Amino acid sequence: MTLPIGDRLEAEALLTDHYLDALLAANDRHAQDAPSDPRLDADLRRAAAWLRSSLTRVHPSFRFEERLAARLAEVAAGLRLAPAAGGEGGSVPFRGLAFDPAQEPGPGFEDEKGRDAGPSRELLIGGALTSAALSIAGAAFVAWRRSRGQGSPMARAVRAARESRALGRLPEVDARRALD
Amino acid sequence: MFWKAGAQEESPRLAHFDRDRLLVQRAQRDPAAFDALYRRYLAQVYSYAYYELGDHHEAEDATERTFLLALSGLPRFEERATPEDGEGASTFRVWLFRIARNVVANQRRARRRHPTAPLEAASNTADPLDLEARTTERAAAADAWAAVDRLPGDRRRALLFRFVDEMSTAEIAGVLGRSEGAVRVLIHRALRSVARDLRSADER
Repeated sequence: MTLPIGDRLEAEALLTDHYLDALLAANDRHAQDAPSDPRLDADLRRAAAWLRSSLTRVHPSFRFEERLAARLAEVAAGLRLAPAAGGEGGSVPFRGLAFDPAQEPGPGFEDEKGRDAGPSRELLIGGALTSAALSIAGAAFVAWRRSRGQGSPMARAVRAARESRALGRLPEVDARRALD
Repeated sequence: MFWKAGAQEESPRLAHFDRDRLLVQRAQRDPAAFDALYRRYLAQVYSYAYYELGDHHEAEDATERTFLLALSGLPRFEERATPEDGEGASTFRVWLFRIARNVVANQRRARRRHPTAPLEAASNTADPLDLEARTTERAAAADAWAAVDRLPGDRRRALLFRFVDEMSTAEIAGVLGRSEGAVRVLIHRALRSVARDLRSADER
């Protein structure tokens, strides 16, 4: 019976996985011989053995290890002091502190600058919404003012005086007439 | 099994008894206790960064950023483990390597804009006085690195996690955000590519 290509690939992958488990376990036991599984392609077994012996774990320098340990201790001390100094107040998540470092990096997640761009985007959107709301409120206010009609007698008098001045009439007479 | 995959095995859910649980809880209470976690995983994170970036200085930068981000993000780390899921693996390690993967990916992107020299040496396991053995190991490590570096993104990462950091398929699935089946296929294909490279090197 022949398996479909997808199933065959998965079966082979499972076989490879078991072989790698055995290979890595043998290495942990410091066993000299690599496990052999005739069902697995010889080239794959050879590649796995080669990678196993070549890709060894690398240790950083002692100087680097201690320098970073000191830096982390410094940061840790800062983190401990922060709640002690202002523990009674709540914290406000803002900018870099709001992201989860283990999350999938987004398209803007290029570097320190890109990472900062994430949370501040919310502020930009908030600002755009606020300014749009203010514009609508302003337009509504102007429309309301225009639709108010003639308004108070004093306003009518002022308007009549302004219009009569434009037409060259005596302002006092028109203003008095408007107040009547 | 410490990754309890859903019905479709599409989004693995983190669930196992975390061997780092006590250390993580202590570090969450007192950040100074993070040092124990740092010492436990320093070489693993550094090795991964080193094979990904091929340069000691860049690997140091990536390692430093990874641990600083992990320390500042630790209060938000949530371990969702149950005792019946077994021991031996770590949800903290998965979380830490997700950070490392992001940091290294950013550095690789930046490096593409400013290319650097390839890997110089990879092994510190040989006797420093045994120059011949050391040279041979260096050459083997550089060849292996070149073969792995030719692989596309997740295949390369999966292979490094499997061989250098000795992660289980389930842990790699957690770091890469894929199902265990998908990770097995990634590693199988990566190994096939390396085998092809080896064969063609033999023919030359």
